Amino acid sequence: MRLTRADRAGRAALILGAAGIASPVFALSTSSNNNFVDVEGLALLVFPVLGAVAVLGVVLASRPVVLASGAGFVVAALVQLAQFGRSPNWLGGNGSTFSLLLALGTGLLVLCLTPSVPSTDETHREEPA
Amino acid sequence: MAAAVGREAAPPVADDGSRAARPLIALLRVGVAFLWIENAGWKTPPDFASLRKFTTYAVDYPVFAPFTWVVENLVLPHFAVFGWITLLLEASLGAFLLLGLATRLWALVGLGQTVAITLSVLNAPHEWEWSYYLMMLAHVALFATAAGRVFGLDGVLRPFWRSSSSRVAWLLARVS
Repeated sequence: MRLTRADRAGRAALILGAAGIASPVFALSTSSNNNFVDVEGLALLVFPVLGAVAVLGVVLASRPVVLASGAGFVVAALVQLAQFGRSPNWLGGNGSTFSLLLALGTGLLVLCLTPSVPSTDETHREEPA
Repeated sequence: MAAAVGREAAPPVADDGSRAARPLIALLRVGVAFLWIENAGWKTPPDFASLRKFTTYAVDYPVFAPFTWVVENLVLPHFAVFGWITLLLEASLGAFLLLGLATRLWALVGLGQTVAITLSVLNAPHEWEWSYYLMMLAHVALFATAAGRVFGLDGVLRPFWRSSSSRVAWLLARVS
């Protein structure tokens, strides 16, 4: 699948990267209970850096760079899964951090690893119920 | 998530000219995703203490006798395994619903998990039963509208899945 700003897949990767860059916004929560995603510690760096790599990959139309970002998110997710509730917890997060890392990594990898989409637009197709 | 990308893919419903319908379906999907993401945060290994407390409600305040038997005899004696399965399931629910990837499948998984939660805590003190009924209805809505086809990766990837001859692609097209 092509990953440029002109392609739907590229725009999807761009948005996933932008979501990574914006993720530290969850750290602004002042609640100990209602914070949606626990982003603190090293995760404050990991999310935006990997997100920026994904954005850069789309801007450069470089699939390997986007792939590296997706793989980085998945590795970070696995590290978070292995460590939370224990010490050390390098990323400082919990299950919600794992879930968001998993989403960004899976999304970017799926977009990178899916072969090119035909030009047919679904808008004009009959959808199955 | 994956916002502007699924814009061209037609949803099976709510395409009657209302400009608000499609983004609101996406909003519902992302909102339900964050419900699962946030609640994956308090299922903490290795002992999953909070999850164990709520699971025990199925025995202390029974809702459905066969479910209570399963919890008492299968789940609680092997709680670490159950805790990990719950954590991975709910974190994956959040991740895939956020992406809008295989959305109909995950809407059904979310519905099933909501039923399990309901059967655990419905009769416990201070529970509002409609919170669980609303969770079920939200997942029904995600399934009914195939919500990942709107501003989601299902909308981006379905043209490939539908044109591919691979069984995996065929399966993904069916569950999206």
